[in-house]
Amino acid sequence: MKETLKVLNKLKEKGLVQDYAIGGAIAALRWIEPFFTQDLDVFILLKDGDEKKKEVIDLSPIYEYLKSKGYKWKGHWIMIEGVPVDIFPADPLEKEAIEQAQEVEYEGIKTKVIVPEYLIALFLRAGRNKDCRKIEMLLEQCQIDKERLQKILSQYGLDEKFKEFEERGYGR
Amino acid sequence: MEGEQKIIIGEKVLRRRELFEEEVARRERAKLSFEEKIKILIDLQKLARDWGGKKDVIIWQI
Repeated sequence: MKETLKVLNKLKEKGLVQDYAIGGAIAALRWIEPFFTQDLDVFILLKDGDEKKKEVIDLSPIYEYLKSKGYKWKGHWIMIEGVPVDIFPADPLEKEAIEQAQEVEYEGIKTKVIVPEYLIALFLRAGRNKDCRKIEMLLEQCQIDKERLQKILSQYGLDEKFKEFEERGYGR
Repeated sequence: MEGEQKIIIGEKVLRRRELFEEEVARRERAKLSFEEKIKILIDLQKLARDWGGKKDVIIWQI
């Protein structure tokens, strides 16, 4: 994991990505109790900005670099130092989540992890059962800034979805 | 005596009955360091592979 983070930081140093943050289950795991997962989701901001306006997003330079370092594909993951990694170019919500992510250290290596309020919005948007379970755990196990969460949900049109989630009383 | 048995999780010392108060225990586990959680994740991956019959589970390197 430590070596994986070093490689991700290298992508930033080399200018292949402008910034990145850990999202998905591993970001959730930073805030809640440990649970089983297999892969490391990494959201990236590309150097030249607004991915939303582009018809094609080219991640080839990143993968070419990783390939040149000997990292190989395994299914849809790229194996970086023994960790299966999924790399996602950020959309507007994910971009904001990266910008607002918390800097943390893992065994002395700096990285960024998406904070719970943005994770809830992202899991809500994904909407699978496993995402709903993570939202539930985040709400139960860590301090959520309700005002901040509400703002994010409103901004990205997720209010209704959250209301439905609450009304379902998921997991209760 | 079993009722007085102490259980250590990181820097926390809990009584056995506290550990079984699920919500409390979950919140305590949520406070573990990122590094400790990743170690537990790797144990979970090994469990899934060795006991859960998921032979294709990738065990992370740390």
